[in-house]
Amino acid sequence: MSDHHKETFITKYIFAQDHKMIAKQFLITGMFMALVGMLMSAIFRVQLANPGEYSALYNLLPGGWINEEGALNPDKYLALVTMHGTILVFWVLTAGLSGTFANFLIPLQIGARDMASGFINMLSYWFFFMATVVLLSSIYVEGGPASGGWTIYPPLSALPQAIPGSGTGMTLWLLSITLFIVGSLLGSLNYIVTILNLRTKGMSMKRLPLTCWALFVTAILGVLSFPVLLSCGLLLLFDRSFGTSFYLSDIIMNGEALHFAGGSPILFEHLFWFLGHPEVYIILLPALGIVSEVIAVNSRKPIFGYKAMVGAILLIAFLSFIVWGHHMFMTGMNPFLGSVFTFTTLLIAIPSAVKVFNWLATLWRANIRFTPAMLFAIGTVSAFITGGLTGLILGDSALDINVHDTYFVVGHFHIVMGLSAIYGMFAGVYHWFPKMYGKMMNKTLGYIHFWTTFICAYGVFFPMHFLGLAGLPRRYYTNSSFPMFDGLSDINEIITFFALSGAIVQIIFIFNFVYSIFKGTKASTNPWKSNTLEWTTPIERIHGNWPGELPVVQRWAYDYSKPGMEEDYVPQTVPLKEGEEDH
Amino acid sequence: MINLLFALVALLTIAALVQLVRVNELLSEITNQDTNEVTDDDNHKNGILFLLIGGGFIAFVIWQMVAWDHFLLPSASSVHGAEIDALMKISMILILIMFFALTPLLFYFAYRYRGKEGRTAYFFAHNNKLEVAWTVIPTIVLTALIIYGLRTWDSVMNPDISDATVIEVYSKQFDWTARYSGLDNILGESDYKLVEGRNTLGVDVLDENSADDMVVKEVHLPVNKPVLLKFRSRDVIHSAFLPHFRVQMNCVPGLSTQFAFTPTKTTTQMKEEESDDFEYVLLCNKICGSAHFNMQMKFIVESEEDYNKWISSQKTLKNTLTLK
Amino acid sequence: MALTVENNAKKQLLWIGMAAIVMFFAGLTSAYIVRKPEGNWVEFSLPNYFIASTAIIVISSLLLFFVKGRLKENSSIFGLVFSVLILGVLFSFFQFKGWEQLVNQGIYLTGEGSNASGSFLYVLTLAHLVHLFGGLIALIYVTVKSRIEMYTIDNCLGLELTSIYWHFLAILWILLFFLLKFF
Repeated sequence: MSDHHKETFITKYIFAQDHKMIAKQFLITGMFMALVGMLMSAIFRVQLANPGEYSALYNLLPGGWINEEGALNPDKYLALVTMHGTILVFWVLTAGLSGTFANFLIPLQIGARDMASGFINMLSYWFFFMATVVLLSSIYVEGGPASGGWTIYPPLSALPQAIPGSGTGMTLWLLSITLFIVGSLLGSLNYIVTILNLRTKGMSMKRLPLTCWALFVTAILGVLSFPVLLSCGLLLLFDRSFGTSFYLSDIIMNGEALHFAGGSPILFEHLFWFLGHPEVYIILLPALGIVSEVIAVNSRKPIFGYKAMVGAILLIAFLSFIVWGHHMFMTGMNPFLGSVFTFTTLLIAIPSAVKVFNWLATLWRANIRFTPAMLFAIGTVSAFITGGLTGLILGDSALDINVHDTYFVVGHFHIVMGLSAIYGMFAGVYHWFPKMYGKMMNKTLGYIHFWTTFICAYGVFFPMHFLGLAGLPRRYYTNSSFPMFDGLSDINEIITFFALSGAIVQIIFIFNFVYSIFKGTKASTNPWKSNTLEWTTPIERIHGNWPGELPVVQRWAYDYSKPGMEEDYVPQTVPLKEGEEDH
Repeated sequence: MINLLFALVALLTIAALVQLVRVNELLSEITNQDTNEVTDDDNHKNGILFLLIGGGFIAFVIWQMVAWDHFLLPSASSVHGAEIDALMKISMILILIMFFALTPLLFYFAYRYRGKEGRTAYFFAHNNKLEVAWTVIPTIVLTALIIYGLRTWDSVMNPDISDATVIEVYSKQFDWTARYSGLDNILGESDYKLVEGRNTLGVDVLDENSADDMVVKEVHLPVNKPVLLKFRSRDVIHSAFLPHFRVQMNCVPGLSTQFAFTPTKTTTQMKEEESDDFEYVLLCNKICGSAHFNMQMKFIVESEEDYNKWISSQKTLKNTLTLK
Repeated sequence: MALTVENNAKKQLLWIGMAAIVMFFAGLTSAYIVRKPEGNWVEFSLPNYFIASTAIIVISSLLLFFVKGRLKENSSIFGLVFSVLILGVLFSFFQFKGWEQLVNQGIYLTGEGSNASGSFLYVLTLAHLVHLFGGLIALIYVTVKSRIEMYTIDNCLGLELTSIYWHFLAILWILLFFLLKFF
């Protein structure tokens, strides 16, 4: 393919075109943004536990965000909640998760030298970087950053008079998300084309590791859904900056009747959630793909039901396009439409359940090696069970009436995204760190990190279901305005305690990560004794991945503990023995 | 000062972690083992932890269900609300069964099959019977749940509103106002351009239906009588949330939405059942700006007699808004 | 054109990119289709300039079909490609004239007297034109390369990619035109 060019510092580390370096760029940026988003949540959790009181953490905020008594301003509470959601959904769980692992794993697992276009790949990171700069700068502008929730419904997000963050901050949010989407699309193009064209000899789609399948389908989801957010945002931009009435009508603001007529905020919601729902599967599927891999390797058993797993990924992806209305049950939509969305939403439970059962069957009669990655993979399965089940309540339109936009929803989506997907990301980092950096991460610190995070995370998000069933709405600055919520302060304090503790224990991970890059013990080529192709490359990462010829694939990726074989793993490059059955 | 303390704690933690890792490395040098090789002992410890902490998680869940049960909303105070509560109960039982079956199973498997040197895993790649079973059974169960859910939804969304008292609920940053339609049970037309001075709801005073409308800041409802709430918004999207009645509906500027229900328990009854200071309340449930957390309006459900007394004492728009 | 993996991959990159652009326009056109029946929709006739621009872009697209033939004969394709570029610029000019005609008719994007029907028209045509500018840039590049005779029948990836994209823009415009004219 492209022949090796001489690498300078700039072409190797800055405008890198090697997929492995780009992956690390995404990882580091994603981790940095995770810290920013986590810090924001620590701050607003403190407000929720001690409403209206001063906290030392507020010193981190720009001036003007707290009042004379030192309490956080209510509209800036909403700014924090908005930015937290935006950063975690897009920057960390989309770019940080897909960007890292798709870039790193796809060429390696399919036996390719690099992505189809290193140049486009490089662009995809730098658009992401620019988006990051723009978003972070919006924190410091007058009026503050966008404050209408990460879902930015107009008219709130369209009118600066409605909330200060809807001024410059919101404009920058739109600019930032445009850059982000372009970067994400450029990445997806590469992932799809590379998997379709650059698989090495013998790597049929049926032998593709599940991680690749998940990343492939995720990329397709992205290509089909992100552009709609772009069109949605474009119309919002026109309403905000040019005074059109796509989403706005019949509004009085600050005593003045505004000129907008004929528009509908519900149109925004439809367009937004048309991306919004596939987006959560763009977040989830790669994590589930990683988990399938980590579980198989560390169980020393094939993943149970490979075909069904692929089928489940495809079915989930397909269904994800026809469920968006379940975010809009309470908008006054035609009840029949609501019924349709309930039906399709509850259907998605079926492939999701199949995946859980397949993982359980993989663990059954396994010989489990508890690497930190494996701990997180099992954590993902637990969180997916917990969070997925509450989805059955929320997806049922009649039940949604009383839990929509309450803490019940907040609990649900944090458990499926904040636990499931993040654990999947951790599992991926721990598992592929030796390949990324040639060193091993410290396993004891990994164990401590998992168990403390596991405890704290469930401590934060499980209680939220009760807050929701008690009727407490989300995005509330405090629960102290309504006597009916007075008793809930105790629960809020418990949640904040676990949230702050959980935030602090992440130091263990950051430390382990950074320390191991420099001082970790040197890794062997295949420390986990895994079958997939990435472990056949030399530990000193080279441009072009394999020093000689590309590997040739002879079997599927899951021959672990296969009867009749010498070792409990058989790499994909090993030819079938005489009389051996192919899968 | 506090910042200094935080920084010190952070630095010391990092120093402690470095020492921990150094000790680990030295130990491995002495024992000639790779520090990061996962041993049978590691597997055993983590397996036990899955039982302990996993078990602890299950216990934590049960504890929450018991300790915080009294925080949950009381049983519904409306006709359709009772249907919703019944559906919720069945759905909750279903998901709790699944949760308490699958989660301990997961943790148990993690413990039971913890790795041991020399043991071989069982090569089990697929099993058609099993896979069909656990695809078909959930499908059947979910189909039943869907049908039940859709019937409840249909019942809730398409009630008989022929007899319902029409009341408008008007939302704005950051409060609620209600407008009763009066004896003719027809709300006068409104337009946002007509909002001026005391006409805070933009009612068209030239429309003859608006003469008997009454604008109030506290809603009274006669018990066991259907009511149709119609929602409007002045500025941004709000959401009218009446949790005790199981009522929620977005209030969208430029659109009109509605929700009909029949209250079944008076405020007095609730005061006896729950607590002395109980009140039905309307909250905003869609992010709408700084004071989103404090948009409230009281709802009072009373006997028909008390309601009639109250409504006859309210001033109509004919009297409060001057005709131009 | 050499059927290498690399060329195939580059073409697929373009196809998937175009799929993304289609989804972007799907969002906008869905919004249009949903909004129109809701009322408060001012009807007006589509400026004639848009009929002219439709014809222009169709002709420019057709011209591109002759490029391959000429390359096989080893004849110069500069004239053809340059003509497509000129037609592309002409198309853009006519779009602007179309907007001017709309303003004269009293159909505005925004402000006093504007309506959703007009706003949608401006946004849809503007979005298309912005994507077309990308095509013009590609055409300029290809025109220069064909002037210095860099393309052969075995080595014309850039030309192929530009052609595919240009045909896409033409089809997209035809679809938008029919939507705006007849729906």
